[in-house]
Amino acid sequence: MILLLLLPATVLIALIFGIPLIRYAWISTHAFSVITGLELVPNQGANWLRLINDQRFWQDTFQTVRFASLSVSIELLLAICIALILDQKWRGRGITRAISLLPWALPTTIMALGWRWIFNTPFGPIDQIFNIVGIESINILSNPNITWIATVIADVWKTTPFIALILLAGLQSIPNDLYEAFRLEGGKPIQAFFKITLPLLRPYILLAVLFRLAQAFGVFDLIQVMTGGGPASSTESLALYAYLNAMRFLDFGYSATLMLGSFFLLVIACILSWIIISRFQYQLNEEKT
Amino acid sequence: MSLILRNIGRKINKNWIVRNLSLNVSDGECLALLGPSGCGKSSTLRLIAGLDKPDEGKILINNEDFTNVSPVDRRIGMVFQSYALFPHLTVLSNLLLGLKVRGVNKDEQRRRVINVLSILQIEDLANRLPAHISGGQRQRVALARALLRDPLVYLLDEPMSNLDAQLREELRPELRRIILNGGQPVVYVTHDQHEAMAMADRIAVLKDGILEQLATPEELYKSPASIFVASFIGRPQINLLTNEPNITTAIRPEDIYLSKEGIESKLIYKEWLGNNQLLLLETPFGKLRVLCEANIRISDNIKINWSKDKEHYFDSNSKLRIN
Repeated sequence: MILLLLLPATVLIALIFGIPLIRYAWISTHAFSVITGLELVPNQGANWLRLINDQRFWQDTFQTVRFASLSVSIELLLAICIALILDQKWRGRGITRAISLLPWALPTTIMALGWRWIFNTPFGPIDQIFNIVGIESINILSNPNITWIATVIADVWKTTPFIALILLAGLQSIPNDLYEAFRLEGGKPIQAFFKITLPLLRPYILLAVLFRLAQAFGVFDLIQVMTGGGPASSTESLALYAYLNAMRFLDFGYSATLMLGSFFLLVIACILSWIIISRFQYQLNEEKT
Repeated sequence: MSLILRNIGRKINKNWIVRNLSLNVSDGECLALLGPSGCGKSSTLRLIAGLDKPDEGKILINNEDFTNVSPVDRRIGMVFQSYALFPHLTVLSNLLLGLKVRGVNKDEQRRRVINVLSILQIEDLANRLPAHISGGQRQRVALARALLRDPLVYLLDEPMSNLDAQLREELRPELRRIILNGGQPVVYVTHDQHEAMAMADRIAVLKDGILEQLATPEELYKSPASIFVASFIGRPQINLLTNEPNITTAIRPEDIYLSKEGIESKLIYKEWLGNNQLLLLETPFGKLRVLCEANIRISDNIKINWSKDKEHYFDSNSKLRIN
C-alpha cells in the first residue's frame, strides 16, 4: 500500500530526472555533433578520455568549486547574522524582512547587468569610490585574478536573503522555553548560540547549503550576463563551458559528457557537506555512562 | 531562610498583570499559585525566576535582595510546563549541560549526574533523546535537571499538565517527596485545584493579577475569603443565593441534603458521578446544585434542607466574606 502511494511521485521523479540522466549518459558515449551530421555515432568513450585530458574542463572545475564554496560560505555566515537580527523583536522588523528579500526576487539577468555596471571601470560607482578615496583604479571586470570575486559578491548579494529566510524559519521553530531554561541553568547568550541555536538550526543549514550548492555548481545566467565567462575564461563555470560546447561548437556529445561530469562533482560536494554538517551533532553528545 | 515577595507588580503596556503581591514561602514549604488562565500565576513565577523584571516591589531569597540579580546568577531550579529539554541532546547531555556551563569540574559533574539519575530512577534513559522517551520520563528528566541546579528555590510551572490524569495522581506523592526533600521553598503553579490541594501546604489564589486569598487548602475550602475563591475551590461549584439585599449567601452542593421537611424543589437534571450524584434543582432560591448519595432514587419533586452553620456570607458589592 505504502509503495503504491509512493508510485506516482517516484514515476514523476524518474521521468523528470532519470530519463534525461540516462539520455545524457547514452549521448556521452557517442560522437554527436555537426561533424557526424547530428547522428549518434558510438566512439568508445572518446568523450570521457577527452574530458580527463581537457585542461579547460579542470580549470572550469576549479573555478566552479571556488566560486560555489566561497559564495555559499559567505552567504551562510551573513544569512545567520541576518536571520538572528530579523528574529529579534524590534520596530520595523516586518518591513525590513520584506525589503531584505528584494535582491532574491530580482531576476538574475537584471541584477547581473546591474552589477556589471557597478563594477564598470571607469563609469561604475565602485571605481568612483576608489577615485574619491584615492585608490588606484583596478579594472575589476578585466583582471583574471579578481573578476571571479566580483561574481561571488554579486551572487552573495542575490542569494543571501534566500538562506536567511530558510534560517529564520528555523530560528522561529526553536521554542523560547529552551533559551529560558538555559539561562536559568547559568548559560550566557553566546553559549546559548553555540549549544542550542546552532545545533537546532542544523537541519535548516543543511537544507540551505545543499540547495545553494546545487545552484552555485550549475551557475550559468549570472556569469553569462556579467562576464560572459571572461576575462580569459577565468570566470567560466562548467555549465557555461557545456553550454558553449552545445550551442557554439554544436558538439552535443562532449557537452553531455561535461554536464554528467559536473553532476558527479556536485553529488560528491553534496555528500561531503552532508557528512560535515551531520558530524557536528554527534560531537555534542556525551560518551555513554 | 525563605522566599519573600514584597509588593511585587509587573505591567505590560500599562496593564498590571501582577499587582501588589506579597508572599512568604518558608523552607521546605510548597506554595501553590492557583487561578484561572491569565490570572498572573505564571507571570509571578517568571518574576521569581528573573526571566522578567518586576515594575515594583522586591524579591528576597534568604533575606538577600534578588530583585535585580540576573537569572544566570539566581540559582533557580525550574521545571517548565513543556519541560524545555534540549531536543538535540541525550538525557545525559541535557543534565550535564548546565553543570558544564557553570564550570563544575568533570568528576563532580559525573558524580552528581549519576546521583540524580538514581534518585529519579532514570539510569536506563541516559543515552536516549527526549523525543524517544515518554511524557512522564521527560518530566523526571526535567526534575533531575532542576535538582542538579542545587537551587535556592524550586519553581514548577504546571509540571503535570502534559500528563494524563492517572499518571498525574501516581506522580504527585513522589514529586512532593523529591522536591521537598532538600528543604528549599517550592512554588508550584497550577490551574488544577485538586493538584494544588494535593501538592501544596498553602495555596495562593490569584485573580486578575491580585491575590484573593492565601491559606491552607482546608481554610480555602472552609472559609473562602471571597465569592471568587468560594466558586473556584470545590467541585461541583458552590451555590450562590442572592435573595437578600447586599448579601450573597453561598452553600456547597455537598452540604445540602434531602429531607422530609424543607424547601420544595423540582429536578431539572441529574448527573451520575459513581460514588454520588449531582442534582440540578429548581427552587424558590433559584437553581441549586446538590450532591447526594448515588443509590438514592430521585423523584421529580423533592424537599431539600441544609444547616445554617454551613452557609457562607459575602458582601454582594465588595464580593468579600462577612463573618
